Amino acid sequence: MALNFSAQEKFTLSGYIKDAKNGEALIGATVYKQGSQIGGSANEYGFFSITLPKGVHIIGASLIGYKTFTISVNLNQNINKTIELNEERTQLEEVEVTAEQEDRNIKSVEMGVSRLDIKQINKIPALFGEVDVVRVIQLLPGVTTVGEGASGFNVRGGNIDQNLILLDEAPVYNSSHLFGFFSVFNPDAVKDVKLIKGGIPAQYGGRVSSILDIRMKEGNSKKLTVSGGIGTIFSRLSIEGPIIKDKMSFIIAGRRSYIDALLKPFLKSTNPLKNSQFYFYDLTAKINYRINEKNTVFASGYFGRDVFGLSVFGFNWGNATGTVRWNHIINNKLFMNVTGCYSNYNYYLEFKLQQLNQSFKWKSNIINYSIKPDFTYYADSKNTIRFGMQALMYDFLPYNAVGQFEQGSSVTFKSAKRYGIEYAVYAGNENKILPRLTLEYGLRISTYQYLGKGKAYYYGDTLLNEPLPLDSIANFKNGQIIKSYVNPEPRFSLNYVINSQSSFKASYNRMAQYLQLISNTAASTPLDVYTIASNNLKPLIADQGSFGYFRNFKDNMFETSIEVYYKYLQNQLDYVDNANLFINETVEGELLQGLGRAYGAEFYIKKNKGKLNGWISYTLSKTERLMRGISNDDWFLSRYDRTHCLNTSVNYDLTKQWNLSANFVYLSGVPASFPNSRIQIQSYNIPYNTDNIRNNYRITPYHRLDVGATYNVNMEKHWVRKSKRRAKLYRIIGKDTDNIDIPRKIFRNHESSWVFSVYNVYNRRNAFSIFFRTKGDMPTQTEAVRFSVIGSVVPAITYNFKF
Amino acid sequence: MKKSVLFTLVICIITFFTSCEDVIQIKLDEGSKLYVIDAFVNNLREDQKIRVITNDNYFSNKEAPPVTNALVILEDATTGQQYTFNYQSNGYYVYPITALDTIAKLNHNYRLKVTIEGHTYTSTAAQKRTAILDTIIAGIDQGAGFGPASKDSAYNCLLYARDIADNKPDYYWIKTFRNDTLFAGSGEINICIDGTGGVVIDAPQDTIKFTPPSTLLSFKQYKKYNTCKVQIHSLSRENYFFFIQMQLQINNGGLFATTPENVKTNIITPEGARTKAVGRFNMASVVEKKIIVK
Repeated sequence: MALNFSAQEKFTLSGYIKDAKNGEALIGATVYKQGSQIGGSANEYGFFSITLPKGVHIIGASLIGYKTFTISVNLNQNINKTIELNEERTQLEEVEVTAEQEDRNIKSVEMGVSRLDIKQINKIPALFGEVDVVRVIQLLPGVTTVGEGASGFNVRGGNIDQNLILLDEAPVYNSSHLFGFFSVFNPDAVKDVKLIKGGIPAQYGGRVSSILDIRMKEGNSKKLTVSGGIGTIFSRLSIEGPIIKDKMSFIIAGRRSYIDALLKPFLKSTNPLKNSQFYFYDLTAKINYRINEKNTVFASGYFGRDVFGLSVFGFNWGNATGTVRWNHIINNKLFMNVTGCYSNYNYYLEFKLQQLNQSFKWKSNIINYSIKPDFTYYADSKNTIRFGMQALMYDFLPYNAVGQFEQGSSVTFKSAKRYGIEYAVYAGNENKILPRLTLEYGLRISTYQYLGKGKAYYYGDTLLNEPLPLDSIANFKNGQIIKSYVNPEPRFSLNYVINSQSSFKASYNRMAQYLQLISNTAASTPLDVYTIASNNLKPLIADQGSFGYFRNFKDNMFETSIEVYYKYLQNQLDYVDNANLFINETVEGELLQGLGRAYGAEFYIKKNKGKLNGWISYTLSKTERLMRGISNDDWFLSRYDRTHCLNTSVNYDLTKQWNLSANFVYLSGVPASFPNSRIQIQSYNIPYNTDNIRNNYRITPYHRLDVGATYNVNMEKHWVRKSKRRAKLYRIIGKDTDNIDIPRKIFRNHESSWVFSVYNVYNRRNAFSIFFRTKGDMPTQTEAVRFSVIGSVVPAITYNFKF
Repeated sequence: MKKSVLFTLVICIITFFTSCEDVIQIKLDEGSKLYVIDAFVNNLREDQKIRVITNDNYFSNKEAPPVTNALVILEDATTGQQYTFNYQSNGYYVYPITALDTIAKLNHNYRLKVTIEGHTYTSTAAQKRTAILDTIIAGIDQGAGFGPASKDSAYNCLLYARDIADNKPDYYWIKTFRNDTLFAGSGEINICIDGTGGVVIDAPQDTIKFTPPSTLLSFKQYKKYNTCKVQIHSLSRENYFFFIQMQLQINNGGLFATTPENVKTNIITPEGARTKAVGRFNMASVVEKKIIVK
């Protein structure tokens, strides 16, 4: 009886887990009581909380890539502790690994989740030798793209606007530089990347297909480091370090492309690009301050622009985001984070004739403010409750255009601004109901209000596939509600651990999305703008169910999984024929909303350990749409349907210095609408399909092999060799050799590497699209043309350094 | 204009990256038969032509198959007068304009009736006003265009034109010629609403003077002593949108290609007709100016 009583007295061990070397919080590290199932993982800020009966416990903490840390804790009161983990020295050393750290995929309730840390991402061969988060995401199962140069990515048949891309919790509206060749995320400032495709927990909402949660580094809190890279397209530089050791640190990272400057000397004076501007830059910065044990504040920001200009034509676009966060440990079991965000995407476009004072200027933007208090309550060893709320305000200017036809005379076309506000409350519980069964259930209730000040447009009815005629316009006052929507979004996940090597998982989630990207082009253009839900445009709703079987082999050396999913979408956007999506006051009358469905199976095998590691994923899937008035009112394949999708990424640690890697991808060709005849009007040959079926063909499959090699310069060896050589020389010339070792001592901790990569090794011209045109000046001759974005092998060298 | 923006972007991407276009052989299905009626009639003092053909296999390398047995009548619905167009060749039906006579009169309504094998395909159009064409200026390109001029084609032409300002949108097709040859390339279609390059739909947007890009006449295309001729044709709203749509469909390559769609028709197929007709009917007022480039 007495024994029982004392066993019920419980205390909590909580705190942060950090990297011993640079003080970065370790997201997802697990803390557990050794030899038991009890434990939990650190949240996005590295915070953990574990409640155990009073007594002495051996506590372990681990994370892949780090040495497991164990400590004996006498838990006779609540204890607050910061745990620091040391990196494994190299991949080559045989490291004793405990099961707890590597079978996370089996035991965690998460499914449809891929996590990559920046070290993994860095090893994958990249286009132009530049590591890119979004391009790596495209190698994961269930993720595709319409082709190179297309911005964004498609997850399980979703549009690119259905991915919530969060950079330190601030939404990023356009994640691309150079139209999609690079993403806006500077790898030097990125710590952790997590893609959630299914079983999306209640704290996330606002997009229906996936969440890409990118966390920036906090900045080295131990010592000042400078790192960077010099590459073919752009160069990078980042500085991070402590302001107050272990209390306050910062990181600032920048990039600038210089392809325009490099090309200029090689362009002939007649080349239209001679006077062009064509570059991008971005700056990412973050500062954090640990006020005391219980309070930490973070401020982070991103600013980037793509600039593109010719003498008569100029164009630039960019994002700016800012986040302020406050982490507060209310008590050992209750963690709070409050995030305030600002995000702004805008573009400018201009035609000008300077001598004549004639110009046409056009701009558009979307601004977003949000606040999100989020709480995690580590109730007991079986329940972790997450709850909170979010308010998001949209301030959206569809267009503002000014045409100037001579000095002082101009004409303005300005749309009314649009405002919307989205509120959400949510709660979810991860409940370890039985030793083998974990449930995660939650509910998010989202509310959206389309607000004044503004105009609401009301449309009449018309023929199918014609723009709706405008019926009336109503004016609304500041803050007046024009239209509101409420959507309960249930979330549910289950994990049944069959044995230590395998588990079965299932999930269901409903998601609501209150803004959509208006784009009818194959690759989204920087001119595309989001539009928010209104009295005409209903919110997008998606229901997704998925099942998965997870199994590890050979002591977790191999991770495998099979996941099947079915997704059903309502109010998916499409467009009437010949829709005018730009500078159009009545654009909503040209939008169609219909159904979408996507289903598929994803097979994944990953080798975690050993010299040879990497993954292979294969996805079999189908994505369709149904729109009234399109394709004879029948289901048609979506633009990014890929039946087969095979992604392979392997990495081989040859020696301590040399690391080799390769990717191979094979994707079925995307569907395309081809004509079955031509008609001639005013001598123009116009492709025409008399059956009126959309996406009736498929273009040729896409496949590509990339290889890469990284040479890590051994600085110690390098300087020893140099010192020896110099010593020899000094002895010959009779100079004093006492100080010869100084450079070696200074530089031996410097890291540098050379990255050699070859993209598209076997020089395949993958079709981005096939189109039809009239041959030159011959009006009777028409031809089919394959357009390839990358039409050759692309070799690249990048030099990276860190000191 | 959006297309021209995208077009420029694509050109730049092509230059900077290694993208490429290859002509390929593919097999396409064969579509069912359609009649194509191409009726752009104007008030110029020249023979007026209406073309009646059928659609053809997309890769056919022959002239479009003509329909030779049609009865083509254009009716001035305002006056009731009928003009019969007679078959000439290549699918063209012609009405010769005499020294004093014109068909196309401002603000009149017209009805087109094309009878083929007992079925009458119809369409209607109104004759709209056109813009005021002040002048064309030719000058050596000082880098104002898409790059500096090359030696042998160093002339640029700029259009000075005015739109009638009365809060009603006007739709124009600016046709540019060099030595009487129309710039007819798929990328050389120049249309606008009022004078603003056609960017704002249905907004009161009288610009009084035309602005770029509508005023930029086929850069770098002229040599000294060439003639540059410009015609501004009035379009109906629907025909303006047809041009927008057609422009996209015939230039639909590159990164920013849109989902292909069938161009819209304003020809009505009568009930009971087994063969559908597509095409466009437009009645245009035209202003014209010609200069010698020097």
